[in-house]
Amino acid sequence: MIKTPDLHYLKHFYHYAKPYKKTAMAGIAMMPLSIAANLLFPWLVIQVIDKHLTAGLLDGLYTLIAYMLAVLVVNYFADAFYAYFLRKTGELAVFDMRAAMFKRVLKLPRSYFDTTPTGVTLSRLTSDLEAIGESFVLGILGLIKDSINTIAVLIFMFFINWQLTLVILIVFPPILFLTQFVRKKLRAQYLITRSSLAKGTGFLQECLLGVKTVQLYGAEQEVEKQYQQHTHSFMRAQLKTNTYDAALFSLITGITTITIGLIIWFGAGKVIQGTVTLGVLIAFINTLEKVFVPLRDFTSQIASIQRSFAAFEHIEELFVEPLEEEGRSLLSSAQIKNQLDIFESLQFNNVSFRYKPVDPYVLKNVSFTLLKGQQLALVGTTGSGKSTIMRLMNKVYMDYEGSILLNGIELSKIPKENVLHLFSLMQQDAFLFEENIHFNISLGNKAIIEKDVVDAAKYVFAHDFIMALPQQYSFELSNSGGNLSAGQTQLISFARAIAQNGQVMMLDEATSSVDSITEDLIQRAIGRLFKEKTVIAIAHRLSTIRHSDQILVLEQGQIVERGNHQQLLNSNGLYASLLQDSREIEDNTVAL
Amino acid sequence: MTKAQFIRHYFLLNKASYAFAVVCIFIVNWLQVEIPRYIQQAIDLLNQSSIDAQGALVSNVQAVIVLSVAMVLVRILSRMYALNPGRITEAALKNDLFYRLNRLPHTFHQQYPSGKLISIINNDLNGIRLFYGIGFLQLFNILFALSLTPIYMWQISPKLTLYSIIPICIAFVFFRLGFRHLRALHAQRLKRLQDLSEQLMNYLSGIDLIKSQQMDPWVTQKIDDVNQKLYQCTLKITRLQTFVMPILDYANHIMKVLILGLGGFYVLQSELTIGQITAFLAYSVLLALPLMSLGRIMTVYQMGMVSIDSVQKILNAEIPPQDLNLLTEDKKQQMSHATLTVKNLNYQYTQGESVLKNINFTIKPGEKLGLLGSIGSGKSTLVNCLNHHLDISAGQIFWGQTDITELSRQDLRGFIRTMTQDAYLFSDSIEKNIRFGSERLQQQQGQNQVEEVLQLSQLADDIRRFSDGKQTIVGEKGIILSGGQKQRLSIARALFTPSDLIIMDNVLSAVDYETERKILDAMFSHIGNKKSQQSLLVVSHRISALEDLDKILVLEHGEIIAQGTHEELLRSCDYYLQTWTLQQQDAQVAS
Repeated sequence: MIKTPDLHYLKHFYHYAKPYKKTAMAGIAMMPLSIAANLLFPWLVIQVIDKHLTAGLLDGLYTLIAYMLAVLVVNYFADAFYAYFLRKTGELAVFDMRAAMFKRVLKLPRSYFDTTPTGVTLSRLTSDLEAIGESFVLGILGLIKDSINTIAVLIFMFFINWQLTLVILIVFPPILFLTQFVRKKLRAQYLITRSSLAKGTGFLQECLLGVKTVQLYGAEQEVEKQYQQHTHSFMRAQLKTNTYDAALFSLITGITTITIGLIIWFGAGKVIQGTVTLGVLIAFINTLEKVFVPLRDFTSQIASIQRSFAAFEHIEELFVEPLEEEGRSLLSSAQIKNQLDIFESLQFNNVSFRYKPVDPYVLKNVSFTLLKGQQLALVGTTGSGKSTIMRLMNKVYMDYEGSILLNGIELSKIPKENVLHLFSLMQQDAFLFEENIHFNISLGNKAIIEKDVVDAAKYVFAHDFIMALPQQYSFELSNSGGNLSAGQTQLISFARAIAQNGQVMMLDEATSSVDSITEDLIQRAIGRLFKEKTVIAIAHRLSTIRHSDQILVLEQGQIVERGNHQQLLNSNGLYASLLQDSREIEDNTVAL
Repeated sequence: MTKAQFIRHYFLLNKASYAFAVVCIFIVNWLQVEIPRYIQQAIDLLNQSSIDAQGALVSNVQAVIVLSVAMVLVRILSRMYALNPGRITEAALKNDLFYRLNRLPHTFHQQYPSGKLISIINNDLNGIRLFYGIGFLQLFNILFALSLTPIYMWQISPKLTLYSIIPICIAFVFFRLGFRHLRALHAQRLKRLQDLSEQLMNYLSGIDLIKSQQMDPWVTQKIDDVNQKLYQCTLKITRLQTFVMPILDYANHIMKVLILGLGGFYVLQSELTIGQITAFLAYSVLLALPLMSLGRIMTVYQMGMVSIDSVQKILNAEIPPQDLNLLTEDKKQQMSHATLTVKNLNYQYTQGESVLKNINFTIKPGEKLGLLGSIGSGKSTLVNCLNHHLDISAGQIFWGQTDITELSRQDLRGFIRTMTQDAYLFSDSIEKNIRFGSERLQQQQGQNQVEEVLQLSQLADDIRRFSDGKQTIVGEKGIILSGGQKQRLSIARALFTPSDLIIMDNVLSAVDYETERKILDAMFSHIGNKKSQQSLLVVSHRISALEDLDKILVLEHGEIIAQGTHEELLRSCDYYLQTWTLQQQDAQVAS
């Protein structure tokens, strides 16, 4: 059945269901009514038959019939409201859980996203919650109602006539034994079907991906033979499952009529002796179904609840994941006051960083200073640590060694929200929302008005192409910007950074190929930035950063060269050779 | 195949099983209505309360029990024989689909990515299985139940039958309406759920930007909106399920009250007996249940139709007729060791510039040919024309006297074996991978041959280091092997099965110069030793791989700009000389 360690997973569900206690109570309050109505009906049947039909008395029959109709109406509403209110409670709890989980996801550190595939997080928020909404809520509700009803009906029957009830109870153990036996068989078959299906699908996938190889090697018949074996073993297991399923189903539906026979057989003598009335016998016959059908559903309800526990377990993972700023000692805004309103300086002192305590360092003893109005460029091959520096500044990663001072305050002590407004990021692969252009530049910031958006677009030379779009600034982007070119996407990202009006521009230049017209615009926009703003840039085209005040050349997490363009060129080191390479590439591009 | 033909074809597959099932379903339904008659008689005998009736009573009760047991048994059979065809059809369809997919040419597979095909086979087949299984069972169940039950009720009392059917008919209308509404809502809910997934996926992929721009409130609001919509939709479904759907169930109860009230009146008038009332009560249940499943079977039917449509997209795709026309063994023998002739070959991908222009050459039995070309010169396209992977027009490539477009692809590939640039391996053992494609030839090649090709491809040493040796499972697409090992395994695989012409399409790119040398030397001696007149076409952008071959073709921009032996080309072709000089320098730097 249900293991006790599973139960503690329910605490989250309980937590989110608690605010809707009243709705739940309203549903639970319907329960006694439903049970009472459920028992009253067969009792009235007995009355009708014994008091009127066998007695031959018409008087008062229709009062009883009216009572029966009333009981049905009460039963209908009680049942409906019971299910409705409790399911609503469950749905509200799932709704709140989803909202809370998403909020939590937004606060999780980058390291979580590094190690968890997006698909996993997605399925926590969708299919796992679905499983809870369906399997758990419905399973529990059905289970509780069915078992209480069955027990109530049996007790009721016992009071009416305990001997006849014993006849029914005698049928119980063999039925339970048989269903358990079949279930066990079914479970074994289920394992076989699952594994043979997985094998078959895996093989199919392999062959379809490699269909060219299959065809070139004339191996069609060969793989078909193998696939047919998979399908065959899957089918055989399924046919067996079918047989057991059919047996279980037929047994439960058949047992009702068999028991009816037994009851009449056993009850006949008693009716003749007058210890049992005919009404009781008929009422028993009509109530039997209420006893046996829940028996059929019982195991499947348990199974569905079990399934939901897997979902609870998955969700638990999200709840125990530590949040980004959890357990860090941070300065309060009173302590920071207005020290961070204007960017003055950023200083890296012997900063080292690794993603996990066991990993190798990705940054080693990095030191540099960026002052207001200066341009700093980071150069190096992929994996040299350029992006990591940017991410540390942005507080995407926090556990650095050494010291990073922002306006003289240790960065790790500053709450994230006090840092981020200083920086505007121009990303390498710009992320676009499926909203219009205006939104993608303003990012929904109400303080950025229409004019600011247009100005920003003009500043980065994006205005012209935007005006050429069908709805201009209201042009809706689809498929994460799939209806724009790669270059246009970058320009939007530039305009966005300008509009956000951060005091330091962080530029992560793209390597993706863009058409030459847009490329020209991008270069002009970057050129403009370098003249007018405080910039920290990762550049792949070295021509862009030629005019930086300081260029840091990184290799394997260390700064191996530093200086301005001319100094570095003169020293004829790594920078000079990188420049050589990039020239060749650029020449080739021209040649093509 | 039209849809009707499709349905008939797979239906006939299990016709015996279906026929037996129909008989069983009928018996079950007949027993279902027959049993209450015995209960009725038993009750009536009881009501007489006479000792004489005792014997008749017992025999009636026995009949109830015996018929019930019989019903259980026949019902098991009915469900087995009605539901099994669903599974059998599913398996047959899977195999049929796979057969077709294996034989459909490149043009088809380009159109349908494998993910889509797998989803059809995994998901759509479910719809078809239900259609051929539970759909069939329920159809006949409903048909028999709805025709037999009223007849039996009518026999007891036509009046009571008519009156008691009224509530159930009214309820059925509500139920149907509710059901239709519910289905629409379910579809809507699925859509909402998809929207939620898409939104979440979107925001999760932009999580860095969202966090750095502190857009949490906006994003949360957005997700809240979708979440809210989903909740509203779910609530509507709940409302329908809790308030409307049980109506049919309650109509059944109301019917019972009606039977007791109205029937009771008739009993008092001595028009009916109490036993008949009991039987009527039992029949009322038998009437309500099939009506409930009527809604479900409609869905099964609709789903089945949709699934058949998507499966037919594959089944109706045409396999080129010549591909099904395999050669006999004799014919194959006759045609082996033929000359491959390429005559004025032109090829262009749809609406593009010609990739191959006017290509002419021959490969005679035993000849070793090289093809040099830079990236994008059309080498792989040429290879894919030679092995008929790409669709070419007739009259351009000949195997002996036969146009290859008239030959089945499978036979052609028995003559011509291609090692592709990106070796595709199966997640099986190394040995199985080597033996891949050899089964058809029905020649049991022994262990020796496996060892031999492993030696030839310079893989033997590597394999000795694996703890399981040749039985090592290489993992999905050969994940445990390095790029070079994968290519060498693909070489071993191609060499294992004898063929007349081996094409090596840039196969040696992932191995170093030294290994390349060894493999080529081994291959030359292998081919030479056998005196098997096996011919070879080596395609590469590295001259080192080609210099010892009988003839080298130089391909540039889809045209053969020069041909000859290595020495001849060094003298006659500037491009060749340049490439050679450059590659020589590289090789020196590397060593």
